Amino acid sequence: MNILNQSLAQMLDFAAPILFAALGGVITENGGVVNIALDGIMRFAAFFGVWGASVSKSPWVGLLWGIGIGILVGAFHAYITVKWAGNQIVSGVAINVVAVGIITYFLELIFKTTGYSPTVPYFGSAVNRISIPFISNIPILGAFSNLTIFVWLSLFLVFGLNFLLYRTVLGLRIRSVGENPIAAETLGINVFKVKWFSTIAGAVLAALGGMALSIGSLSSFTNSMPAGKGFIALAAMIFGRWTPFGAMWASFLFASAQVLQFILQATAKGIASKIPVGFYLSLPYFLTIGALIGVVGKAVGPAADGVPYKKEG
Amino acid sequence: MEALAVKNIVKKFPNVLANDNVSLSIEKGEIFAIVGENGAGKSTLMKIVYGLYTPNSGEIFVFGNKEDIKNSHDAIKLKIGMVHQEFMLIPRFTVTENIVLGDEPKKGVVFDYKRAVLEVKELSEKFGLKINPTEKVENLSVGIQQRVEILKILRRGAEILILDEPTAVLTPQETEELFKTLNALKQNGKTIIFISHKLGEVMEIADRVAVMRRGKVQGVVNKPDTSEKELAKMMVGRDVVLEVPQVKVEKGKVVFSVSGLTVKNTRGIIGLKNVSFEVYSGEIVGIAGVEGNGQAELVNAILGFLKPINGKIYMGMEEMKFITPYNMRTRGMSYITEDRKRRGLVLPFKARENVIMGQHSLYPFSNKGILNNQAIDEFVTKKLEEFDVRPPNGYIKAESFSGGNQQKIILAREMSMKHSFLLASQPTRGLDVGATEFVYKILVEEKKKSKGVLLISLELSEIMGLSDRILVLYGGEIVGEVMPSETTEEEIGLMMLGLKRKERVEQ
Repeated sequence: MNILNQSLAQMLDFAAPILFAALGGVITENGGVVNIALDGIMRFAAFFGVWGASVSKSPWVGLLWGIGIGILVGAFHAYITVKWAGNQIVSGVAINVVAVGIITYFLELIFKTTGYSPTVPYFGSAVNRISIPFISNIPILGAFSNLTIFVWLSLFLVFGLNFLLYRTVLGLRIRSVGENPIAAETLGINVFKVKWFSTIAGAVLAALGGMALSIGSLSSFTNSMPAGKGFIALAAMIFGRWTPFGAMWASFLFASAQVLQFILQATAKGIASKIPVGFYLSLPYFLTIGALIGVVGKAVGPAADGVPYKKEG
Repeated sequence: MEALAVKNIVKKFPNVLANDNVSLSIEKGEIFAIVGENGAGKSTLMKIVYGLYTPNSGEIFVFGNKEDIKNSHDAIKLKIGMVHQEFMLIPRFTVTENIVLGDEPKKGVVFDYKRAVLEVKELSEKFGLKINPTEKVENLSVGIQQRVEILKILRRGAEILILDEPTAVLTPQETEELFKTLNALKQNGKTIIFISHKLGEVMEIADRVAVMRRGKVQGVVNKPDTSEKELAKMMVGRDVVLEVPQVKVEKGKVVFSVSGLTVKNTRGIIGLKNVSFEVYSGEIVGIAGVEGNGQAELVNAILGFLKPINGKIYMGMEEMKFITPYNMRTRGMSYITEDRKRRGLVLPFKARENVIMGQHSLYPFSNKGILNNQAIDEFVTKKLEEFDVRPPNGYIKAESFSGGNQQKIILAREMSMKHSFLLASQPTRGLDVGATEFVYKILVEEKKKSKGVLLISLELSEIMGLSDRILVLYGGEIVGEVMPSETTEEEIGLMMLGLKRKERVEQ
């Protein structure tokens, strides 16, 4: 495999967690609920996926556990923000903060370890990867010859979510609720139902993002997960103007920065080799900030995004 | 045949009894107008009929059957449609998407956009309401947006159409178009409920008129049996004299002037060209003109929101070098805004906070940065009474007051600030007769107190009635300066359309 294919494959690998979570943000926020809880949901699911895989010795069961916790956390977010029209930022921050504490505790409680979980069966192992050997030497296409099921799923979901949002009746209704819930209500659309759906669906996508970090590519859970990837995903969602394909390109951009970081680190010579590793590690984050400064001012999200909806009278 | 009847409807809100035992009966195929001042309970009643509010008691009959309308879904099923005062449209959706939302043509789960476009096209042809189905709503003028709203409810099979203040946002031409549409719908057998406080329009379009005041129905009259004057009297509860008594006040010195003012607007187009004029103490200078001919640029330049590319602004004799609202106000300017909700008030703040805003840092309202609540309350209570704000309770949020009372809160604030010059930008926009009368009274009082007033208004009758001197803006230029006693509405009308110019009157 040549270096181009290798880098591309690596980029897709890095992009998957960000992309899943960004897609989760896209569907939730198109329904008018701000979702800064992406990071926390990723952490919950990353851990629960590993836990499930460890209990059952099957990554598939881990996947189900991860999705299950995604639904639960999403339902919590929806309960606070949709049912009680609570502040969406407060609910999101709460989920993020709780995720940090409780998962650290669970890690020690269940696996009796700090920092790392024991290894479990995972989707990144050689047997579980989707291997297409005969394309492996074709430039660019070869990057797709040995990807995990998570990477493929993240790419398919871009098309799937795009179809859902822009081609189906449900998608039209989700977007209408995010733009003007009162108008939607006057047309007989059940705003609360739609918001419950989009919030939980978004949480499930974010959960897949969390598992893409753990059982999706690695054999264990590390306590630093997801290392702010949920916030990068949030940035990717904004950078991609709240659309699935936009989120995909933005995730690719941020993941490329990560790949670049490795390449620069590996090839650094002379003075460059004296630059501390931390600098390279922070490159993707700097890029995120830079991209946002350049774009955010102009990016316009759904009109009623973040506005709690209450029935009047 | 009776299309809609409400019987003994009562609706209480925390601070107000919005509907007090309201009963009305509306015939099929008529245009039925409900008039009343802002806050009289017209909109509340219609929101109850449309299921957006739940009444405390009372009954609703639709086509003879007693119905329990719990939400707008129920109303739609009963063939009731409503065009709201603030449009219920999604700007980023296309016309078609807006019209079919909630009842979309589909193939399985897929939204069949092509068929939707066809359906909308057919519908628009059937009722003679021309629109482009694939255009985005954000690109449409207000008149066309309203058309989309009407089509939206027609598609739901509406037989009873409720229009809440439909002309408030329209130009005269658009209003005429709307009236044609409404008459065509009437020919089609639709029942139309038309809510308004513009009596001239009601007299033009309605078959019967119900008048509401303070939550009660004052009476229902046939149009041929009534007049604008009588309706106004029923609405306000007394004779309304909108003609302003001419008061002559000795003209004093210049309190405000601009010279050679040229301003580019936010779109980069020159919106005001070489404008010069003075405002003397004890006079009202009226600026007439069709909207969009430089009024906004003039106001924004005076406030410092737009930086003039040329020209000077003076407060008294002092040239204003650094123009900000703060600097203008400390030199003696008060400002009645053209947009109450966005510029005039902080809506989620209480009335008392809105009244003292701008002087909150002064004695006695605060001392070393700490607010003196007792002094504020005393002052606000006095002011709310003086300006007849209803209810006179400073602890209610500004957004909960009706439009007229919001304007009175602004007046209470602006009049209580020390000033020599009043910038009144469309001070009666969207106000009912009673509140308009109140604003006129305040403006005349200002004149009597020897303040200089610059009155910008789109209502020509207002300009003619109040001003001592009239400047006509057209295309960003002053195309005429006339005295109201020496001109006619026709002459000013021609100048407003750029068809006539008139030399400035020698001072």
